[in-house]
Amino acid sequence: MSGCEYCDNKSEKGRKNSADKNAATIALLGQPNSGKSTLFNALTGLHQHVGNWPGKTVEQKTGTFTHNGKSYTIADLPGSYSMSANSDEEVITRDFITSDEADIVCILADSSQLERSLFMLADYAGINVPCFLVLNMADVARQQGKQINPQTIEAKLGVPVMLFSAPDTKSYDTFYETLECALRDKPYLNVSTLENEYKNISGYNEIVEILSENDRHGYTPMWLAIKAMEKDKVVLDSLKNTLSLDRFNRVESLSNQSGGAIATGSAKFAWIDGILNGAVNKADVKKSIGKLDRIFTHKFWGKPAVVLTVLIGLIASFIPAMPLMAAGMGIGALKGPVLTGLTAIHCPTFLSSIICDVIIQSMGFVVQMLGFVFGVTLVFGLLEEVGIMARISFVFDNTMGKLGLQGKSVMPFLVSFGCTMGGAAGARVIDNWGQKVLTIALAWAVPCGATWAIVPMLSTTFFGAWAPLLIAVILMIMVLHIWITGKIFSRGLVKAEDRYGMIMELPPYHKPKWGSLMRYVFGRTKDTFFRVTKVILIVCFVFWLISYSGGDAQESFLAKLGMLIEPVTKFFGMPWQLFIAFIASSIGKEGAVGVLSALYSGSGSVIAATSGAAVAANINELLLANIAKPEALAFIIAVTFNMPCIVALAATYQEIHSVKWTALISIYYTITALLLAFAAYHIGLLIW
Amino acid sequence: MSLSDLKPNTEAIISGINGDARFISRITSIGLTPGCRVTVIKNDKNRPVLMYSRDTMIAVNRRECADIRVSEINA
Repeated sequence: MSGCEYCDNKSEKGRKNSADKNAATIALLGQPNSGKSTLFNALTGLHQHVGNWPGKTVEQKTGTFTHNGKSYTIADLPGSYSMSANSDEEVITRDFITSDEADIVCILADSSQLERSLFMLADYAGINVPCFLVLNMADVARQQGKQINPQTIEAKLGVPVMLFSAPDTKSYDTFYETLECALRDKPYLNVSTLENEYKNISGYNEIVEILSENDRHGYTPMWLAIKAMEKDKVVLDSLKNTLSLDRFNRVESLSNQSGGAIATGSAKFAWIDGILNGAVNKADVKKSIGKLDRIFTHKFWGKPAVVLTVLIGLIASFIPAMPLMAAGMGIGALKGPVLTGLTAIHCPTFLSSIICDVIIQSMGFVVQMLGFVFGVTLVFGLLEEVGIMARISFVFDNTMGKLGLQGKSVMPFLVSFGCTMGGAAGARVIDNWGQKVLTIALAWAVPCGATWAIVPMLSTTFFGAWAPLLIAVILMIMVLHIWITGKIFSRGLVKAEDRYGMIMELPPYHKPKWGSLMRYVFGRTKDTFFRVTKVILIVCFVFWLISYSGGDAQESFLAKLGMLIEPVTKFFGMPWQLFIAFIASSIGKEGAVGVLSALYSGSGSVIAATSGAAVAANINELLLANIAKPEALAFIIAVTFNMPCIVALAATYQEIHSVKWTALISIYYTITALLLAFAAYHIGLLIW
Repeated sequence: MSLSDLKPNTEAIISGINGDARFISRITSIGLTPGCRVTVIKNDKNRPVLMYSRDTMIAVNRRECADIRVSEINA
């Protein structure tokens, strides 16, 4: 389409480059909801790599694709609304663009909201890197009755401009053509009309003059002047270092009188109006809300509607997750036959134990977990893509804001009642790293499905009819725990300046792009598999090492250590058997009762019990005969609020990419669980 | 009058924005600048204010809305 008409007018000078085998690097830039991730997923498919930007806590997504025998690297730059240094994301974005790593910048805008979404282009203008513009969601704009003429816009901007709609496969051909042209011609944005707007701002001309002697790679004096006026911290700091003091002071005082970001923002929108003038046949968009939004944003029904939607989504997600989870359990079930086989060929006991209790067990855990990750990623990705996630944020903004979190953080909490690793995997929808870590840290306090599988049983055994009261107390502790943990962790994680109330767009509902979504989900599941397997294998092996006994559970290192430090653990209300069961519950809570059974009956190994070996038939009598009521209370509380399980730990690490914070959260939970146990034990002693 | 005082289905023009550089940068980047038209859709207690501006449905927290001055357009 238009992209190539533009190129054909150009000289042949760049053509040689197209034979170049070196991969070209594309930087993908766009506001949230501009369809950036969809395009990225569609182009790269499973060839994605997710990591962190070096030295930063911001997620780095890169991918590769080949077209016409040429390979390309594409970087999905962290999404934000502008290029100002309001967050790490924005600083990383502009540093990457001007670092010479990107050969071309692909700027995305939403065709259905061109006026607003071209702001990113206006904010980009003045950065000296070639670019082209993709007007995404052309199909939505067409449905709204808008007619957009990309050629008109192209003529004004001086860079290729193309319409794009993800469901239309022809769009991709146009995209590749435009990309090839842009890489060949290296077009720069024509900023003269924008500069004319800026010249009307008082002090602009003088600042530009001062800055024109100051060369900063990749940035024009115009761009730096505007950012100085907007009080961009990073730009001001660098000017302070490079300009003489009186010149810097002059820039600062001129900036203070300029009207700041309000003046520059108005100039940018005035320029956008000029660009769109004659290029868009504007149809009046209905300024009211649809039926669905009337429910989701309703004063009373909003929250129930959102929670119900999420629950239905989660239940539905179990359908595709089931086969994987069943396969995981199937792998776990292999342990018996494999052990029999290994014994038959006289394999040394410790070796068959490593194979069965470490390797097979770990793989069972991992595959089950993948089922969850797959399901949760699919549902959350779908909610995000369709536009429901933004409504969830809106409805829960006030409630979650009290914890220093965004509205969407409510989702991982809901999932965590089922499974904490699902909650951790779901926290990926939170775009701010600190808030993501905080969300996971708090979601750990929500008792998961495995907890609910053992706590009612233990409570009934020890406290009979009083069990419901204990469960009510547990829920109360949970609320308090979340509140206090939020206070403690938010200080290091959520900066005061990130504690802004919501300023966000509620995008129109979109039909999901299943192909792109499924590629994303498979990519994530694959990525999770490799990262998480490592963590789980290591932890399982260490636990095996300390709990291996060859025969009697009491002979293991863990048991001996437990006996040794029993005087200390008794302080928390836990004799050594309970303490070991508590430690084992960090691997998996459902195993806690089995471990008690193995230790009190003197049969079976700790490691086998942790991973779900059968409990003794007379488990109730065993427990009642050996554990006093205050100890039982302490144990129940300790297990409930202990770290959820090794898989949740691995999933947390996978999401936050930080060993330090994963370790901090685990240690914090182990300690608080013991403190809670201490309190429960001593209260118990007063009662009984 | 501030944005948070507007009733649903009223139209207004933004006349001024108060706040630190960071807030102003964020609010302009989503399209709210002086002179810009907004139509309030929902304004419920304990919820962000929901509005239309530049063809976009935008939610802005109430506290922040109090810093956005508007003049109402009488239809």
